[in-house]
Parts: sequence; structure tokens; C-alpha cells
Amino acid sequence: MFINYEHNSHVYNIEVERKKNQYFVTYNNNIYTVEAHEIKPGYLKIRLGDRIIKCVISENGDNRFVFIDGDVFRVKRIQLTGMKKSSRKEGDLTSPISGRVVRVKTKKGDIVKKGDVLMVIESMKMEYLIRAPYDGRIKRINFRENDQIDMGEITVEIEKKRKKQ
Amino acid sequence: MDVIESHINTSSKEFKENYEHYERLVKDLKEKIAKAAKGGGEEKIRLHKSRNKMLVRERIEALLDPNTPFMEFNPLAAYDMYDNKAPCAGIVTGIGIIHGREVVIVANDATVTGGTYYPITVKKHLRAQEIAMENNLPCIYLVDSGGAFLPMQDEVFPDREHFGRIFYNQARMSAMGIPQIAVVMGSCTAGGAYVPAMSDETVIVKGTGTIFLGGPPLVKAATGEEVTAEELGGADVHCRQSGVTDHYAENDMDAIRITRNIVENLNRPEKTRLDVTKPEEPLYDIKEIYGIIPKDLRKPFDVKEIIARIVDGSKFHEFKALYGTTLVCGFARIMGYPVGILANNGVLFSESALKGTHFIEICCQRKIPLVFLQNITGFMVGKQYEAGGIAKDGAKMVTAVACAQVPKFTVIIGGSFGAGNYGMCGRAYNPRQLWMWPNARISVMGGEQAANVLLTVKRDQLWRKGKILSEEEEKAIRDPILKKYEKEGSPYYSTARIWDDGVIDPADTRMVLGLGISAALNAPIPDWKPGVFRM
Repeated sequence: MFINYEHNSHVYNIEVERKKNQYFVTYNNNIYTVEAHEIKPGYLKIRLGDRIIKCVISENGDNRFVFIDGDVFRVKRIQLTGMKKSSRKEGDLTSPISGRVVRVKTKKGDIVKKGDVLMVIESMKMEYLIRAPYDGRIKRINFRENDQIDMGEITVEIEKKRKKQ
Repeated sequence: MDVIESHINTSSKEFKENYEHYERLVKDLKEKIAKAAKGGGEEKIRLHKSRNKMLVRERIEALLDPNTPFMEFNPLAAYDMYDNKAPCAGIVTGIGIIHGREVVIVANDATVTGGTYYPITVKKHLRAQEIAMENNLPCIYLVDSGGAFLPMQDEVFPDREHFGRIFYNQARMSAMGIPQIAVVMGSCTAGGAYVPAMSDETVIVKGTGTIFLGGPPLVKAATGEEVTAEELGGADVHCRQSGVTDHYAENDMDAIRITRNIVENLNRPEKTRLDVTKPEEPLYDIKEIYGIIPKDLRKPFDVKEIIARIVDGSKFHEFKALYGTTLVCGFARIMGYPVGILANNGVLFSESALKGTHFIEICCQRKIPLVFLQNITGFMVGKQYEAGGIAKDGAKMVTAVACAQVPKFTVIIGGSFGAGNYGMCGRAYNPRQLWMWPNARISVMGGEQAANVLLTVKRDQLWRKGKILSEEEEKAIRDPILKKYEKEGSPYYSTARIWDDGVIDPADTRMVLGLGISAALNAPIPDWKPGVFRM
């Protein structure tokens, strides 16, 4: 597998192949054979050629602090490739477009679940659905069927369901 | 590159319903194509075969390298036209591979009204030549045609884009260094005689191939001379005496062998190089597109779900993801080729148009082919948007699309309405190929909108005369308009008239785009030189 990490504002790209306790690390076209044993959680004994290195690793978020012979190195794993968690846009309660309200599918006081369709707006030959972005109770409906609505206007107001203590 | 994460729930009721609905659309499409591929019907096929002639599709298959794809154009040309008497418009065209290089094939189907040219046949022939010209591909004409369809001569012969244009194109292409090869496998009468005569190199089949300006009946009428077709214009006459043809073939199969040899010796220049990688299947099943496209065209869908199922590894490097979000732009690979994708995710606003313009400029600078996934109901209308200058921002995008000389490919995956069609590289903007999905709709505006516009105009006229329209009168105006738009907006109405290059199964989109890009690389990619952008 390929691993990218950052240390001292420099990005290192390495390839690691693992066979039991042996790791074959390719960096800058050189291959290093490394043997590593975890003596206890966070404590590693590493053999690199004829050197034996003992180190302690501690974690803080994405950062790893590596203590070797009294020196501390901070390294950070970074992802340069692969799956990016796409943040799915939470539906909000404003109208995405100027158009006409064709259907109101809820009324004041209704309990709604996240994803429920509250209103349908028609514009430019398309239907736009306003869905509840979270569970809650309908506090107010600002438009009636056949009303004209502008982009960005708030369609419905929902009182968010309080999380259980 | 980043991978598109899909949010589609393939076990939802909605997905399943859409999927079933779409499967029916695809089945219907395939049945229509299979029917048209049968040509003139069993009786005509039997007659054709009795003359020791191969059928048009058999000829093409034998001519191409084994197990290579044939990208056919408009298999449904002339669908529901001319009383359905000209399936496939009586001519098969497409891009195939011979000795590893792409060529354009134009092949008459003599089982369809003797291979004569209906108006749509001429259009289809000219479109294939246009594709050859744009992509710098050799043309191979498998000729078996009686010439123009005489009852419709006024729509076939006199105008600029009519029969004469075929030979004009042959001369121009030959001048451009694009080889023109004719294989005479049947009649080449009258105007049709010029197809081989205007070619660089020609083959003729003994016994069935004939070339003459006037056939035996015309000769008898004009001079009283009685001759057989073979004596007048057969392989022996043209290979030994007239020199109209160069190669003498014993039969169809022999002619195909000779033609492959001709192509082998064309000495074609090297193709344009792009940074190509090994093709990679998308992470998600391409057929899931069936379940993503809503049954109701008015319901929006997230086009990134479509992109995720078309591009290599579902990897997409999105450009300006947070700006002008109704147009999705980004880089990806299709069958290993780099592409810049522009895909609609709603109505075009000023910001979306500006973003699209910027993105097209980047791709033209970097010489990256463009793919337009068109599903557009238009540019946003209304007071606020007009005052904001949407007309000039839309014009910027249209300018960029028109001036972009990188290979462009358009797939209409939903609606294609109004100026949105222009900005998203509609037919008039010269995409190398334009394909439609069977759910697509195309018209200047929606039927409902057109009916309302016309109704408002009528109401105003009557209002000035002091009259008003009754409900029945309104209905009498509205209904025919709705019906007309419904009929003419269909992808089959479009493809019959060659407003596109074919209706395709969405599952074939990757392959068709890959073949199109590969063919496009036979021509150099010119530098970017745009027109004036109204600022």
C-alpha cells in the first residue's frame, strides 16, 4: 500500500509491503527491510539492518508523536488519493429556486421525520422537493399552494426534536 | 483522484420502480433497432441472396477486424417516416476498425427500395462524411444503390445539402488527404456512378457490380441501342476498358479481401497522443443508471450519480464544486482517455454559465476532450436574472462551446430545452457525436410552456377586440400544441431525422464515448482561439 505522510512541512511518499513482522518499505527507489515488534501498546522495537531502535508513539488526532532516544518527531498521515468523504449537502428549508408552490404536504403541528417531503415547488419545467433536514415539529408554513416563492425564501419552519438526555 | 461516493439506495421502492420502467424503455429501443436492422424484409433478402450477394451487415462484419466494435450511426433513421418503407434509411453508416485503424463505412442496403436515396438517406450519408472529415478518417463506400429516390427528387437533388454534396465532399476529403475508397457491389446508377468515379481507389464485383450514367432502359429510350447491364457497365468493361475501377473481384468476399488490402497500404499518419491510462471499470454498476433516472422527467436527479457510473474508477476531480452548483464540471477518465465533463444539475444561472465557460477554456488550453451530459430545461428566466445579465453570461458559455476545437461529445440524458441546448453543445455546436438516451426529450421549450405562451398571445389579441376565450376554446388551442410537442420531443422523432447520431442504452455510454474519443484522435487538436466574450 502507498502511504503519504508529512513531517517538517515535507511530504514523504512511501510504499509499504507487510509480511508478518517484516515490512518492506520503498522510499526514493530504495527498499528498506524493517522488522517491528510491539512490546506493549505504544512501545515498539524496530530492527533496521543491524540497528535496533526502541521508540514510543503517542497519538493526538491525525498527529503521531514518535519519541526516539530523547528526540521527538511529529508525523502526520495525509491522504493524497482515494476516497474523499463527500459531504452530502443537508437539505435546508429555503427555496432553491424562484417558482410556484404546487403542493404543501404538511400542516402546522405535524411531526415530521428527516427526509419527509414538505413542499413541492415548480419552476423551469422542474419540480423541486423541500425535504425535512431533521426530525421535528412544524412550527410555521410560510407559503400556500399557488403562491409565488423567491429563491432563498424560507418555506417551512421546523422546531427541531430535542435529543433525549 | 477523489472517488464519487454514491448515495443511491438500490433497494428502495423508488429505485426499483424507476429501474423497471427504464428496462422497458431499453427493451423497446432494442426491439426497434433489431427490426430496422432487418432492412427491406424477408422477401427482398431472399432475392438479394439469390443474386449471390451478401447482406449489408454481413459485408460490414466481414470487412472489419474480427471481434472489434462497429459504432453504428442512426440505426433508427427514417423511423416512422415514408410509411416505414425505409428502415435504417436504406443505408448503414458507422466507424469500424480495419487493420487496427478507424475508418468510416457507408454501405447501401439494396433490400430497401433498391438502395435508393430518400431525403433522410442523403442526410445520413452526408453526416457520415462529416464525421469522417472532422475526425480525419478514411471513407469506405460499399455501393449498392439505384441512386436518388425519384418520387422525392425535389427533396433529394437540388439543394446545397442534397445528393451533389456527396461528391463535393469526396473531392474535398481527397484533397485533405482523407482516402476515398469505393467498392461496387451492386448498381451504381446515374448520380450513384460518381461515388466510385470520385474515389481514390475502387473495387468492383464481377457479375453484380455495375456502373453507368444511364442504365439499359434509358439507353434504349435515348438511342435505341439494346445492351445488358453487364455489357454496359460491368466489372470487365470498367477494369479492362474504361479504367473507372481499379480492382476486379470475383465475388463479395473477394472484394472485401481486396478492400482490406487497400486499407493496409494507406500509410495513415500517427494519431494524436493524449495522456492515456489503463481503462478501469466504474465502482458502481453502470446499469444502476436505470434506477436513478426518475420516471417523471420533471423530477431532478443528482448527475454526479450518473458521472460515478460512467467514468473510470468513479474517480472525479471536481472543479469549483461550491460555485454555480447547477453545472457540475470536472476532470475524469473514460476508457483511459482524459476528459473534461460538464453536466447539468439544475437550471443554468449566471454563475453556472461563467463556471462552464472557465472550465471549457481550461480544457481547450490543455487539449482535453469535452463530454457534455445534457439535462437542461434552460437558462433561468425572470426580472432579477435578466437584470443580472444572464443573457451575456449565457452567451459567454455559448461562445466557448462554439469555439472549442477539442473533440466534443454530447449525451442528452434528460431534457434538452431552449438555449440550454446551445450552452450544452447541442447539434448546432458540432459535437463529434451526439447521443440520446431513450428517456430524453428535446424541444425549443416544454409543451406546457409553449401552449401557455401561445394562449397568452391569443388572449391579448382578443382582449383588444373586447372578447375573451371560453374554456373550450382555450382547450382547443392548448391540446394540439401539447400533442405536437409530445410527439416531436421524442428521441425517436429526433433520431429518425438525424438530429442526433443515435439513441443508445445508457449502459453503452462509456463504450460509445471511448470509441468516439479514440476515433477523434485521428485528427490533430487545434489551439484555443475564442471569439469576443461579452463582459
